Amino acid sequence: MSHSGIPGIDPFMKFWTEAVKAMASAGMTPPQPPPDLLTQLRRVYFDTLAEQADQFMRSETFLGAMKQGMEASLAWQQGVNQMMQRGLAAAQAPSRADSEHVVLLLRGMEERILERIEDLSARLGKAEGAGAAARGAAGREERKE
Amino acid sequence: MSTMTSNPWGLTPEQLVANWESFIRKAWSLPKVAEVAQRVQVGCTPAQIVSRDDNIRLLRYETADEKRYATPLLFVFALVNRPYILDLRPEKSVVGHFLRRGFDTYNIDWGVPADGDRYLGLKDYVLRYLDHAVDHIRERTGQERVNLLGYCMGGTMTAMYTALRPEKVRNLILLTAPVDWSVKDNLLSLWADERYFNVDRMIEVYGNAPAQWLQASFLMLKPVQNMLEKYVTFYENMDNEKWLEDFFAMETWLNDNIPVAGEVFREFVKYMFQKNQLIRGELEVAGERVDLAKIACPVLNLIAQNDHLVPPNQSLTFNDVVSSADRRLITFPAGHIGMAVGGKAHRDLWPTVCDWLAERSQETKAAN
Repeated sequence: MSHSGIPGIDPFMKFWTEAVKAMASAGMTPPQPPPDLLTQLRRVYFDTLAEQADQFMRSETFLGAMKQGMEASLAWQQGVNQMMQRGLAAAQAPSRADSEHVVLLLRGMEERILERIEDLSARLGKAEGAGAAARGAAGREERKE
Repeated sequence: MSTMTSNPWGLTPEQLVANWESFIRKAWSLPKVAEVAQRVQVGCTPAQIVSRDDNIRLLRYETADEKRYATPLLFVFALVNRPYILDLRPEKSVVGHFLRRGFDTYNIDWGVPADGDRYLGLKDYVLRYLDHAVDHIRERTGQERVNLLGYCMGGTMTAMYTALRPEKVRNLILLTAPVDWSVKDNLLSLWADERYFNVDRMIEVYGNAPAQWLQASFLMLKPVQNMLEKYVTFYENMDNEKWLEDFFAMETWLNDNIPVAGEVFREFVKYMFQKNQLIRGELEVAGERVDLAKIACPVLNLIAQNDHLVPPNQSLTFNDVVSSADRRLITFPAGHIGMAVGGKAHRDLWPTVCDWLAERSQETKAAN
């Protein structure tokens, strides 16, 4: 048998193919099972397993365990965060909490500046509108005269 | 008589030999597998960055195809995972369909949120970054309105945006976008229920929603498929180079996880999954109420029939609440990701979507 595209495989294949042939013909003469029987079996097995897993992950047992596991994990992570924060503070280095504080300050500052710009922009718009109206009225007065 | 004659599960010597040969062939192809894994590329269409907004990049896809439509198209992907799933491989590129049809096509790359981005919320993503991207495209193309295509969570944000800034959107396409969480029959909705999941505490402790945690949650939605069946199929196809290329491209994307900014994750879980505020018209973004009834542009709602992440009932109601006279719903037999990378979707779905959009987009003067 040629296995083109895989160089060097043929002698290797030949050796093992012969070996398996010898082993298989030694004691097995079964009837012909359906060719895709194993595939079908595997499909059924996986589908059943998936169905069972889905049912289990919807159960109160799993949901309760998930909640408890998450709470424990969060408590542990919070402990680590606090420990790191204290350690960094002792080393006079900024911690994540410090950088988050700076981010919050910057966001607050940005919002205030944007609000101020929008306010000024609105006032400028009004002033321009009033100015244009006044100029229009003055022009009409001049034309009357 | 052999005892094997009564065993219907027994293999014939020929089958044993065939299995053995197959095993050897696969073992022999291991170097090839490693080579394909290393050389596979994702995100196949060249794109240039046309604007940056903090960490967010607006990409414009380059093409030699003639531009036929003046109305530009912007893809908006979810904040989870990377947007190149829409352009994974040359023959599996949603972007490619629109480019070949002559659309000027853009995509938002949300980037990777850093620890300092934990306070970015819906108001930042929807009314700042998305709005800036839309404005940039409008300014660049001289078009008053753009076409939007939102995928998954990106579709939800796109729907919010269209409701808040309807004057800037010409056509809206939602691709497996959840908008209604009233029926909690899928695992994700159940896990996110407030009885089992305290999102405030999680964000308080972690800052952003960790990438590994998100990845584990998605894997657990289909544990047998994702952690067992996938590898059996991989073994069976180890000597199939074309299959390996697709497999590794997909794996690259699946494992390219990014965290989600804490505040937007919190808002999404709390106000969508837990309180279902969007479809009820109770959601507020930066003080503005998101009223989906304000969406009056043509709407195309694409739903994946076998979606385990966003089941059809989370998207179906969208068409009932918008006020668009021109609205269409397509339910396609595919899964959540299959809509973007499935061969059937590329053959049957995307040409239809391109037709729909082409009929509703302004043609260029040259095309006229």
